[in-house]
Amino acid sequence: MSIDAQSVLNETFVLNLGPQHPATHGVLRIKLTMDGEYIMDADPVIGYGHRMHEKMGENRTYAKFLPNTGRMDYVAALFNGHGYVGAVERLAGLVVPERAEYIRVITSELNRISSHLLWVGAFLVDLGGFTPLLYCFDDREQILDLLESVTGARLTFCYYRFGGVSNDIDDDFVAGTRKFIASLRSRMPMYDAFVTKNIIFRKRVEGLGAISAETCRKYGATGPVIRGSGVAYDVRKAEPYSVYSKFNFDVPVYTQCDCMARYLVRIAEMGESMRIIEQALDTLPAGPVMAEKVPRTLKPAKGDCYFNVESARGSFGVRVVSDGSENAYRLKLRSPCFSNMSLFRECSRGMLLPDALALLGSLDLVIPDIDR
Amino acid sequence: MKTIPLKAKFNEIAVCVEAAPLVLETAHATKGIDLDVTVPAGRVVEAARIMDEAQFMIEAITGVDWMADKQLEIVYDFTHVDSGERVAIRARVPRDTPELPTISDIYPGANWHERETHDFFGIIFTGHPELIPLLLPEDARFHPLRKDFKA
Amino acid sequence: MEQQVEVPPGLIHFTLLDDILNLARANSLWPMTFGLACCAIEMMATGASRFDMARFGCEVFRPSPRQCDLMIVCGTISRKMAPAVVTLYDQMPEPKWVLAMGNCAISGGPFKFPGQYGIVEGADKLFPVDVYVPGCPPRPEALIEGILKLEEKLTGRRRFPVVEAQ
Repeated sequence: MSIDAQSVLNETFVLNLGPQHPATHGVLRIKLTMDGEYIMDADPVIGYGHRMHEKMGENRTYAKFLPNTGRMDYVAALFNGHGYVGAVERLAGLVVPERAEYIRVITSELNRISSHLLWVGAFLVDLGGFTPLLYCFDDREQILDLLESVTGARLTFCYYRFGGVSNDIDDDFVAGTRKFIASLRSRMPMYDAFVTKNIIFRKRVEGLGAISAETCRKYGATGPVIRGSGVAYDVRKAEPYSVYSKFNFDVPVYTQCDCMARYLVRIAEMGESMRIIEQALDTLPAGPVMAEKVPRTLKPAKGDCYFNVESARGSFGVRVVSDGSENAYRLKLRSPCFSNMSLFRECSRGMLLPDALALLGSLDLVIPDIDR
Repeated sequence: MKTIPLKAKFNEIAVCVEAAPLVLETAHATKGIDLDVTVPAGRVVEAARIMDEAQFMIEAITGVDWMADKQLEIVYDFTHVDSGERVAIRARVPRDTPELPTISDIYPGANWHERETHDFFGIIFTGHPELIPLLLPEDARFHPLRKDFKA
Repeated sequence: MEQQVEVPPGLIHFTLLDDILNLARANSLWPMTFGLACCAIEMMATGASRFDMARFGCEVFRPSPRQCDLMIVCGTISRKMAPAVVTLYDQMPEPKWVLAMGNCAISGGPFKFPGQYGIVEGADKLFPVDVYVPGCPPRPEALIEGILKLEEKLTGRRRFPVVEAQ
């Protein structure tokens, strides 16, 4: 069927979704061309949260850009910090002490669990179930308490520094983390019974919003989206950064390609994150948390480099181009949500409007991360 | 290694400096990429086709403004989902006439990346289906990441 | 700046009735579900289980501006978004209040720098703001304190004792 607005027989209409709409999780706008309840074309209009982080990276020193990293993908802020300090450390040739790398892994994985918990709650609110959100936030607040005790912030963390982390973890944090993991483990069967096995939820999301592995490759979709399409791509395994190669964990993969697969991937990832945290706590080495002899103003040599981390939403990449001065010459932030969002137009074609919103929710979008 | 057979293919289309093609194998641990290729601006489509045939995933497209050289650099990043290898393809265009062909018909995901690069640097991707502002307001006529931009 | 239109004060005041109405309004503020950036997550946290804004009668988040009387501007207002935010404000029925949550909504916050072209430096450039809650982002307790301040503005008296810093 051709979509031709000029045709006499054409009975499509344009529906404007957003930029203020509860299902778009912020300031996303989608111009929909509808035929009744069916979507003929969905054109996302983005940029409503555009704050120009990349320009800010160019006109301030490397260290002064650190707080910005917490304000792009604020639900999983530590990953952005990790990607940025990783890129600058790679360019400047800094070696990070092992204890700092372990702390980075522990805090990052806690952040991943908190991000996935928030997603589970928000996704179910999209589908019409409000109650799970309250349980998810209850668990999430415990993680925020732990992270606040070491980073000093609840949401927009700025914890990683070039050459380490700003603050060492103490015994209270270790004990609290172990206690939290035990409590979340005991809660998982409840989520399983009330959400995963809920027949209403299953009937709603199973077989909905298919995204093929080929589509993911052509659009650059990563994270739980590509792993829900049967591809075991995880930056932590594909190019192990930090100390991830020392831990024993699996990459959850589901081949159904639907919203349910993406849900199951995230639930399984929380379990894997807990495994990583436990191993890291067991083998946590003693030592300093900051590298010695990190210059006060960093001036990496001329050149460029690329560094990727596996964020809660996919592969977050940073390209730093240095001209030898104290500011970056160019800072490119490759956000996973940007690529994940770009496939929405193709995948939503022909779907019912409420189903497309379920697909949109399953992509786990943070709009200021798309817009940067 | 997926990148070794690619080297021969890139040697044919890459820019040559003193008869040596600019196809550099770089250390992943220090640069983050495995193969660094510089091609003429007109041949980025061929380079993208090589990447597509080798089943690489598109990661990002971006620009760098080299104002002193009066040139704009466009960097395409590709990743292989099985081996985790990365390939960066670079092309340079003059700053006054920044034009090069689009790869959005090979990689539909490049559509948004090219629009973003057009927003920030004013690079025109010829053949692009809808080269309108993506992140900037609809009526934006400025390119903020050019080094001579003043708000 | 545009010329602000002066609204003439009403000729007749029902003092007692107004007091009662304001008490009712203060105890059931209906905020708008409206997230712009990072602060929206803290607003969600304030509404969710631990902080529970329902204790202050302020939990009925409405997605439609026509059903709200409190607009919590939580996040950076970009120039592209500004017309939409103004439309939302205009669509809200009187009486209405605005709470600017976070530094971006107060002054542009960390995103105000020479060369910035894309943001509105504060919600008060667009419409009048009643309560400012600083922070980047403010903690949920700070947002609750902002709501209590707004209640105080409405009724003229404070409902809960002020928590002093230790």
